[in-house]
Amino acid sequence: MEIMMGQGRLAIEKIVDPESFKENTIGESSFEDNEVGPGAVVGTAQIGDQDCTIIASDAMAMNERFPVVYAGIIGLEEGYKMAMAVYKTIEADKEKKGTEKRPILLIVDTPGNGPGKQEEIFGMNKSTGAYQLALAEARKAGHPIVAMVIGRAISGAFLCHGLQADRILSLSSKFETMIHVMPLTSVSVITKLDIERLEELSKTNPVFAAGPDFFYQLGGVEELVEEVDGMRSCILKHIAEIREMKAAGEEARLGPWGRGALGEQRGGRMIRGKVMAMMDKQFFAFAEQNLY
Amino acid sequence: MEGMLNELNFKFKSENPVDVVLPKHHYGVVGSGDLEVLLKKHELEGAVEIRVVSPVRGFDHVWEKVLEKVISDAEVGNVAIEINDNNATPVVVALRLAQALSEAKSAEQSVN
Amino acid sequence: MAKWTELQDKSFLEATARERAVGIVDEGTFTEFCGPFDKIYSPHLPLMGEAIEYDDGLVAGVGKIGKKPIFVISQEGRFIGGSIGEVSGAKMVKTIQLASDLYEEMVSEKPDLPEEMRPAVVISFETGGVRLHEANAGLLAHAEVMDQIQNCRGRVPIISLIGSRVGCFGGMGFVAAATDVIIMSQFGRLGLTGPEVIEQEMGKDEFDASDRALVYRTTGGKHKYIIGDCNYLAADSIRSFRETTTAVLQKPMEEIETFRRIGSMEKIKEQIELVKLSVSLKPKDSMDVWAHAGNENPESLINMTLDEFLAQAKRLKA
Repeated sequence: MEIMMGQGRLAIEKIVDPESFKENTIGESSFEDNEVGPGAVVGTAQIGDQDCTIIASDAMAMNERFPVVYAGIIGLEEGYKMAMAVYKTIEADKEKKGTEKRPILLIVDTPGNGPGKQEEIFGMNKSTGAYQLALAEARKAGHPIVAMVIGRAISGAFLCHGLQADRILSLSSKFETMIHVMPLTSVSVITKLDIERLEELSKTNPVFAAGPDFFYQLGGVEELVEEVDGMRSCILKHIAEIREMKAAGEEARLGPWGRGALGEQRGGRMIRGKVMAMMDKQFFAFAEQNLY
Repeated sequence: MEGMLNELNFKFKSENPVDVVLPKHHYGVVGSGDLEVLLKKHELEGAVEIRVVSPVRGFDHVWEKVLEKVISDAEVGNVAIEINDNNATPVVVALRLAQALSEAKSAEQSVN
Repeated sequence: MAKWTELQDKSFLEATARERAVGIVDEGTFTEFCGPFDKIYSPHLPLMGEAIEYDDGLVAGVGKIGKKPIFVISQEGRFIGGSIGEVSGAKMVKTIQLASDLYEEMVSEKPDLPEEMRPAVVISFETGGVRLHEANAGLLAHAEVMDQIQNCRGRVPIISLIGSRVGCFGGMGFVAAATDVIIMSQFGRLGLTGPEVIEQEMGKDEFDASDRALVYRTTGGKHKYIIGDCNYLAADSIRSFRETTTAVLQKPMEEIETFRRIGSMEKIKEQIELVKLSVSLKPKDSMDVWAHAGNENPESLINMTLDEFLAQAKRLKA
């Protein structure tokens, strides 16, 4: 079994057209200082004869200015570099119609956001927030965004790099992919329930358990990929589907909102929809009396 | 209540029950060692019904004693009460329920 | 028994989520959605033997400030740390969406909608982010909130209020960063990683999580005001937060957008300059940044009253 964890750069090679990846170049623009944010890999590749922005983590890179960045952690510089890659992508295609905008591929293998004192002093929350807003803007502008989980998709780092995509795909659990907020051992400490009990509970309720299968049930992962060599064709299929759906005005079936409906359809998140339906009804009654 | 929470139901009647004024009233926060109380005016021939949901087990008789005392002191009737508890001590339970009932008996609505 | 008028002088730090929600809008205007009597609670907590609350620790609703419909989200730190689960997350997402939808409807009926009628969202944060008992649903809800915030950009202002006990951390730390305007009190704290986790990662010598003064200097309102992450510093009362919010909402949308820290290439270029400063300054303590901003005696800022601080503190310009 070929484990992809820690091998973001190799994953790029396996997915895009051979030797087409140009690091630090997006459209007419290049990244002036290649040394900034070494934990993030950004650039342009060809995938099925179309330009595609690639954003990945380099688990082998260390950031000498920010020692908390290693093993694929997204630090202050990395978050802004990733955000900049998205804005450069929007800029590169700003004259194109919504249906012709280039896709963005997020290759996801990150264990966390930078957790340091210096990071908190300068506001790590802004760096990860900036990247998410940029992705949401690109998605709404028409760029198809696909996230491909190849290794670790952990908590806030997955929110930052993955959960704003139109569609999320994951190598299945046989590739030791990890998608979670916390491992079950930590959930056990917090809930004071033993692991056996939690494992039993997770059979009927995927809401706290760790792993791609549970995220699939919750609508958090659209499709599980069973072969490394299958990633490319699966990504291409989803890019095409996303384009079609956006052209048909079906954006509500994509992105975080679309995953809400998918979670209900797959039986994983059943009360979200009830809450929202009740609020719709209550607001309608309120608005009739108070606003019109 | 499915799962591991304990549900208790009680019914009390004080000697000279008076109806609450507010048709419904909410009081408190389910903090650690605290609880929330929901009161709803309800025709019960002067009685009070109380439903408690709590992670704590094995203190049913303590709940009964404390709640009965508060209801009898407050002299209220025709009200359905729900309590969501998170390990509150009997003193806190008595204090919060008494306050909730006192507010429901007066005409002024608290937001709390 | 706290009426609206009495709530105004109540400490924002001590106030419950519902008191903050009711008190932040005009008197008698707040209507709650999915309130305690609707009994929409987390179905996941009972499975783990964890106490439930009928509002799931989040008060959502709509009120008014002047003619503006104000959509309010207020988190209750006393209930499981104000954490976001499936129910509280859905309430937050839907409240922002209702504001956005109402704006759309109002503009379609009245294309030249006056600024004084433009809806707004106010979020009173008190949370560490995802609720670990239902972590996956909480995480997915965070992504939906960010999506809704982007929908509101340039249309519906979103104001963050941070001055409650738990602060605003974890995923909600970047949700707050993504809003238009941030109002804090000096008791508010805003960040991504909580103090205990930093200590765990860096060691007690680098960061002692039990040192409350250090914790406040690193993520507290005064520091965030100096560095520019919070736009206004309010006094610790519901009144002060309400008056500051009201003053901000007098401003046209275009001006409110300028208060943002992130959300465009230009904004993040400014932030990248700030990261460069972080590299050259290598601060051991927030006070190093305060000194760099021109505060000659940074230590004196720590115990200043709000008025003294606002009169004397110099803010960083990236």
